[in-house]
Amino acid sequence: MIRRLFLLATILAAAVALPARYAFAQTSNNELRFALRADPKTFNPLLMADEPSETVSYLTHGVLIRINRATQQLQPELATSWKVTEGGRKITFTLRQGVTFSDGTPFTSADVVYTFTSMMDPKLHSPIADTFQVDGGPTTAHANGKYEVTIAFPAPVAGLERLFDQAPILSASASGKEASPGLGPFMLAEYKAGNYVLLHRNSHYWKHDAQGKQLPYLDAVRLEIVPNRDLEMLRFAQGELHLINNLDADSFERMAAQNGGASNSARDLGPSLEGEQMWFNQVAASPLPDYKKAWFRSTNFRRAISGAINRHDLTRVVYQNHASPGVGPFSSANKFWFNANLKAHPYDPADALRRLQLDGFHKSGPDLVDASGHVVEFSVITNAGNQSRERVAAMIQQDLKQIGVHLNIVTLDFPSIITRITQSFDYEACLLGLVNVDLDPSAQMNVWMSSGENHQWNPAQKTPATAWEAELDQLMKKQATELDPAKRKAAFDRVQEIVSEQVPFLYLVNKNALTAVSPALGNTQPSVLRPQVYWNAETLTLAAPAAGSKQLAMK
Amino acid sequence: MTRTMARAILVLTFLAAILAPWIAPRAYDHQYRQAVNASPSSQFPLGADNLGRDRLSRLLEGARVSLLLAPAAAALAVLLAAIVGILSAYLGGVWDRLIMGAVDLLLALPWLFLLLAVRAVLPLNVAPRLSVTLTFLLLGALGWAAPARVVRAQVRALLDSDFLLQARALGISPARVLTRQLPPNVAPVLLAQFCVSVPAFVLAEASLGLLGLGVSEPLPSLGSLLRDLESLPALHASLFQQAPMEMAAMLAPAAFLVLVICSFQLAFPQQEICS
Amino acid sequence: MEVPLFFTRVSVDYPGKPGVLKNVALDINAGEIVGLVGQSGSGKSTLALAALQLLRAKGVQASGRIDFQGRDLLRLPENEMRQIRGRDIGLVLQSPLASLNPALRIGAQLREAWEAHARGTDAEWQAHVRELLESVSLPSDAAFLRRYPRELSVGLAQRVLIASAIMHRPALLLADEPTSALDAITQDEILELFARLSRLRRMAMLYISHDLASVASLCHRTAILHQGEIVEFEETSRIFSHPSHPYTRRLVGTLHLGDREFA
Ligand SMILES: Nc1ncnc2c1ncn2[C@@H]1O[C@H](COP(=O)(O)OP(=O)(O)O)[C@@H](O)[C@H]1O
Ligand SMILES: [Mg+2]
Repeated sequence: MIRRLFLLATILAAAVALPARYAFAQTSNNELRFALRADPKTFNPLLMADEPSETVSYLTHGVLIRINRATQQLQPELATSWKVTEGGRKITFTLRQGVTFSDGTPFTSADVVYTFTSMMDPKLHSPIADTFQVDGGPTTAHANGKYEVTIAFPAPVAGLERLFDQAPILSASASGKEASPGLGPFMLAEYKAGNYVLLHRNSHYWKHDAQGKQLPYLDAVRLEIVPNRDLEMLRFAQGELHLINNLDADSFERMAAQNGGASNSARDLGPSLEGEQMWFNQVAASPLPDYKKAWFRSTNFRRAISGAINRHDLTRVVYQNHASPGVGPFSSANKFWFNANLKAHPYDPADALRRLQLDGFHKSGPDLVDASGHVVEFSVITNAGNQSRERVAAMIQQDLKQIGVHLNIVTLDFPSIITRITQSFDYEACLLGLVNVDLDPSAQMNVWMSSGENHQWNPAQKTPATAWEAELDQLMKKQATELDPAKRKAAFDRVQEIVSEQVPFLYLVNKNALTAVSPALGNTQPSVLRPQVYWNAETLTLAAPAAGSKQLAMK
Repeated sequence: MTRTMARAILVLTFLAAILAPWIAPRAYDHQYRQAVNASPSSQFPLGADNLGRDRLSRLLEGARVSLLLAPAAAALAVLLAAIVGILSAYLGGVWDRLIMGAVDLLLALPWLFLLLAVRAVLPLNVAPRLSVTLTFLLLGALGWAAPARVVRAQVRALLDSDFLLQARALGISPARVLTRQLPPNVAPVLLAQFCVSVPAFVLAEASLGLLGLGVSEPLPSLGSLLRDLESLPALHASLFQQAPMEMAAMLAPAAFLVLVICSFQLAFPQQEICS
Repeated sequence: MEVPLFFTRVSVDYPGKPGVLKNVALDINAGEIVGLVGQSGSGKSTLALAALQLLRAKGVQASGRIDFQGRDLLRLPENEMRQIRGRDIGLVLQSPLASLNPALRIGAQLREAWEAHARGTDAEWQAHVRELLESVSLPSDAAFLRRYPRELSVGLAQRVLIASAIMHRPALLLADEPTSALDAITQDEILELFARLSRLRRMAMLYISHDLASVASLCHRTAILHQGEIVEFEETSRIFSHPSHPYTRRLVGTLHLGDREFA
């Protein structure tokens, strides 16, 4: 608490000191500025695992295929075309010609081969390599001439093209350097630890606009390291930063209110891929008493609890309507894969009690008791420090009290939660966030396969514990091997249906993507997919002296 | 005069804390979901919090939790500190060095991890009231090391004092010196340590809450209510002018805590012997 | 010649400060008042503390011998020594206010001193304390006994201290600069009190002072302590009329000079 107060003091001090700094920060009129939450841990794109590193890599490196964040369609980048063969085992790229790296060296198939060979080198421990490692076997790359490369997977991968959106291409001639030349719109110019990362325009960038003008339009991008959201908002309000991604609802509302309702900078982009979910522990070997195991393994019980939760209240009270009731693993933000026939479980306490009665639960005074007379009380663990999540838990607590269920909320530090849900299984229910970075269900094999490590409610089963989990296994395998997108879609639609019926996860809310975009920023096309506002960084423009800075000068 | 007033305030706050369930206008945990963030009104004298719960009722309940448990924890800590501090100073020499070494070690231990470990072995289905009681007792059981140093220093000074020398010169036995002559002189230090520990524990409980070790929903404590202030820096300064009532309502728990702490300091005689 | 009541031949070294007392030879006869004069730091208090074996607590051991009523105090075990303190030898420390327990009422402090060597009913105590306080010219009402030391003047505090030191009618009273903190009038009153007590109770006394003038009226004999050594030990009148040691001469000289100046 004391540290918090100290933080408060620091922020206030910084707020006072800012206007003076502002004058110096205004060095280039055509420089985009936004905040990183921390220093990038690496400038080697193959080693990045943290968001700041990913941001730098996204802006400085090119990929073969890009997922267009607006249309969610694949879009040729460094590869002009590609062909998937051998039932999804191989992909052959035709590379763009006449492209040069930021250091002027030409881009050829050698660079692609070099990139994938380095990435798959087990000594490097590249986090990206994991997504390319199907069934444990390595993925290989070889050139078929100067502008053609084939990547071979050990087993068929459905929708494998999308993986290449995550694979930045390095220069073979600059092996060993950490900050290697890239094929992105910007290049690393300066890094001051704890302060900023400065990117300059890559004058060798290959893209041109419709008029033939070379991109990017911006001269530079300054990534300011601002460790704190409040400070970030303050600096945005003063015109020092041009955009904020991933605002939470409270900050968003505050920003909208400060702008006097003219929400030209606070933008709600609609449903994102992120939400909150809760699940019950169904692990047979868990240290829970048998009667509780029986509750949690009952579909009626889980469905009843889900229906006793007022999701509309959650979205209204905690997210101030910048969220919608959670439906399933994907929201409507995922244009292709979302099963639009599904609805969120409606709030219906009477129906919940009816379902519970099917299992022999009944009311005894204000309490709900099970068939053998145990009062229904359970705990939900969640991570400490996430205020909106704690509020979600408190609201569920009151909702469940209505049907006589006692919920104890236990906030724990993250490592303890991980230990409990992956090793000791000493928990009853768990409430955590749901983050999807990948649009394709293949990325969720580990979640839905009963043998999966991330099959949270009952991980790493030898054989599926229930018939519906067996069916999930089949459907997931099917969508992973099937190449016809329509058939894949049908299989995954059924997965979403089963999940909605069997309720292994209680999807609570689906959050909207909330951003702040300076009016000075042009050509914006904010997307609900990461990296929201700056995904089309090469075509963003900045209007000369922003209106915000004039206001500041008058103060 | 000030002292009388401080004492009156203390009595009133403690009465309010004890009687919270009877005098609170509403249930502290009921969420009036149509009144989320409601401004102060006759229905919600201090407004409603971000889940629509009555702020005044929560303040009273929070005071009840913190003002009954923090003094208990402080008393425990000070009692342990008195025993260790007096023994260490009186035994002197090797014992003194051994005991103070142990105290230093204790102060240097990464308490957070120990507390986390303790939380890890607690059962999950613990009633909020019980878990917050345990938290405070833990704070008390662990919080004695720093006051023990102060007590020891004070006792060392007392043992060198003229009046204890005079007492010995009068033939008064060591046992009598230890039980009759020394304690009334250590008492002001203990009282001071107690007064310092109470607010420290209230705040410690608040920061433990960030680690999931403090009070759990829906029960409030003064500490957990203070956590609401974290969103203050983000609140624009103009809010002071636009909505002074809301600001005042938000600051109520902090103001209340400051009032109680100040009253604590003023209610008891100032000690001549400061350490 | 009779055996003196009190007789020393004692040396004291403090850790880091050797030779604070160098074979100090002093004798006091029963009922006799002996003055001990020396400037600050000459070792006067050290001698008083050594006599009651109170240096032990400071980790200091006195060597030589200190005879009292035929026993060598330096060789007495602590439990026997404790019986002598306050009962046979009384001590009044240097600063009256600091020597009273600030957290105890006067009545309680006196009773503690009484119970160190006596047992008795409340009534007996009441009678004893009334007589005691009257003997040192202090009020003996309940209100006075309920006071705390901080509510007393230095003079009153000094009398309380003297009362607790003579509570058990000791044969010897060691008074360490009992008047140095007092104004001139109170000083005279205390000196008178000492003279009367010594006379009435046949109590021997070591009157310690850094100021030769106060010794003149009270003491039969006077010892001059200089840098840990007794440089002169004579009838008080002889010290004034025929100071032999250069240091004594200087002391007496300044005294006359002072007299003339303020005459
Ligand atoms: N605890 C002690 N440790 C070391 N030196 C001491 C200690 N107490 C007194 N002394 C020294 O011994 C000398 C005599 O002290 P003291 O007997 O108090 O002198 P006096 O009473 O004549 O002023 C002084 O020089 C003093 O500094
Ligand atoms: Mg002295």
